[in-house]
Amino acid sequence: MPDGLKPATGTKGATRVWDLPTRIFHWSLVALIATGLLSGYFAPAWWLDIHSWAGYGIAGLIIFRLVWAVFGFEYSRFSNFTYAPGETLRHLRSFLRRQPGHYTGHNPLGAMMVFALIAVISGIVVSGLVSLGGKEDQGPLATVASYSVGKTADDIHEILAGILVGLIGLHIGGVLVESILSRENLVRSMISGWKTRLSSREPAAPRPARPRAALAVFAVAALLIGSAFTVLAGLPATGLTTAAAHPAFEAECSDCHQLYHPSLLPAASWRDMMASLDQHFGEDASLDDGDRTSITGHLVKHAAGHWDSKAAHKFRTISEQEPWQISATPGWKRIHKEIPEADFKRPKVKSKSNCLGCHSDAASGRFHNQNIRLPKE
Amino acid sequence: MHSPFTNFAAALVLALSATAFAINVEAAASDPILAGFAESAKASTPGFTGFSAERGKRLFLSKQTSGKPETPSCTTCHGNSPQSRGQTRADKPIEPMALSHTPNRYSDPKKVAKWFRRNCKSVLGRECTALEKGDFITFMATQ
Repeated sequence: MPDGLKPATGTKGATRVWDLPTRIFHWSLVALIATGLLSGYFAPAWWLDIHSWAGYGIAGLIIFRLVWAVFGFEYSRFSNFTYAPGETLRHLRSFLRRQPGHYTGHNPLGAMMVFALIAVISGIVVSGLVSLGGKEDQGPLATVASYSVGKTADDIHEILAGILVGLIGLHIGGVLVESILSRENLVRSMISGWKTRLSSREPAAPRPARPRAALAVFAVAALLIGSAFTVLAGLPATGLTTAAAHPAFEAECSDCHQLYHPSLLPAASWRDMMASLDQHFGEDASLDDGDRTSITGHLVKHAAGHWDSKAAHKFRTISEQEPWQISATPGWKRIHKEIPEADFKRPKVKSKSNCLGCHSDAASGRFHNQNIRLPKE
Repeated sequence: MHSPFTNFAAALVLALSATAFAINVEAAASDPILAGFAESAKASTPGFTGFSAERGKRLFLSKQTSGKPETPSCTTCHGNSPQSRGQTRADKPIEPMALSHTPNRYSDPKKVAKWFRRNCKSVLGRECTALEKGDFITFMATQ
C-alpha cells in the first residue's frame, strides 16, 4: 500500500490547507496566464495592450506570492515545502512506483513545480517587459532597452512561453495522477482549501498567516515598483529620437502622397531617390535645386540608421530591385505576409504604399501594434 | 432727413467699395505671373495678341499621345471639369483648378513653375510654351 494510505502514517480528517489568498492567487494566475498565452499565440498584433496588461497583472501576482511565501499560512510558506534533494528523489521513486508518499501540503514534486512555474513566469514577465521596451518602444523599459536587446528578450520570451506550456501540461497531469493515486480531489482542494487526507508528517504547530505584515511588505514593493515604472514610462524611448519639423519636406512630399517618415529608409535610398525625382515611381516629381538639397539633407539626417525604432530596423535592409520602395523590403514583406492581397485593394487602403490605411500613427514612424486597424471595407 | 452720421457712413461705404474695386481691376491687369508669360509669348509667338480662355480650355480637355500613357490628359488627375476635385495616383485629393474654387492658385510663381514643368512633361512629353501656360491660367481665371 502507498505510504500515505497506511493508517499508521496518515490520519483521516479535514483541515484547511490552502488559505484564501493562495487560492485566489492560484486561480487569478490561471486566468491571467490563459489570457497571456492566448493573446500571445493567437490574437492579432493590435491586442498587444491586453497581452501586456495580463503581464502586469501576472507580475503583481508573482510579487504577492513571493511575499505570501514568507507571511502566509503554514502550507503557503516556501519553507513548508522546501525539501532536501534526497527526499525529493525518494518521493520521485515512490511516485514512479505509483505509491507516492503523502504530504498534507505540497509534496516534493509539487514543490518543484511551484518553484519552476514561478521562475519561468518571472522570466516571461521580465523578458516581456524588455521586449516591449526594446522592440516596441513602449512600457517602462522603453527608455533603457535598445532594439537589439529587445529582440533577444523577445526570443527568450517565446522560448520561456513554450516551456511554460509544457510545465502547465505537467502540472495538470501531475495533479490528476496524484489525485487518483492519493484518492483525493486536489483540484477541489485548490478551490475549497480543504484537504481530507492528512499526513503524519504534518507540522506540530502550523504557522498562522500574518496578513498585516504581508500587506505592508506587498504595499511597499508595489509602491516602489509602481512608481519606478511610472517614472521610467514618462522618459523618452531610446528608439524614438525626434525629427525637427521641416516645412519644405512636409509641403513638397505631401503634395502628391502621404508623408513617409525619414526613418523608413536608409540614407543611401533617400539620396538616390532625391537625385532622380523626375523618375519618381513613374511620376515627374522634380523640385528646384534649393528644395531638393534641403529635403535630401533632412531625409539623410533622419534616415533609418539614426533610429533605434522597430520600423527603422525592419526596413533598413532594402530590396535590391526596388531600393526606394518600403513595401518591397524583405522586412516589410515578412511582417505583412499573412495579409491577403485583396485586403490591400480595399477602398480604404487601395495600395501597399498607403501605410495610413491601417497604421494610424504611420506619420510618426512609430507603427505601434495597438494603432493597427485593418479596414473592413 | 439724413443725420450727419448716416451721411458719413454712406460716404465711407462708397469710398471703401470704390477702393476694393480699384484693387481688383489692378490685380487682374497686373498679375505678374500672367504678365511674364505674356512677355515671353510676345517674343516667341508672331502675331500674339493676348491669351485665350478658349485655347486654354481645349488644352485642358485635350487627349495627348506624346506624354506618358498613364496621363493622356490634364483631366486624368484633375477630373473632368475645372470645378471638380482631382486625385493624385497616391490618392491625395487635388483642389479644383478653377480660380473661383481655389483662389490662391496661380499666385506663387515657384509653384506655378513647378507644376507646369512636371505635368506638361507627363501629359505632353515636353515643357509647355508660355502661350499654353498663359491660355491655361486665363481659362481657369474665367471658371
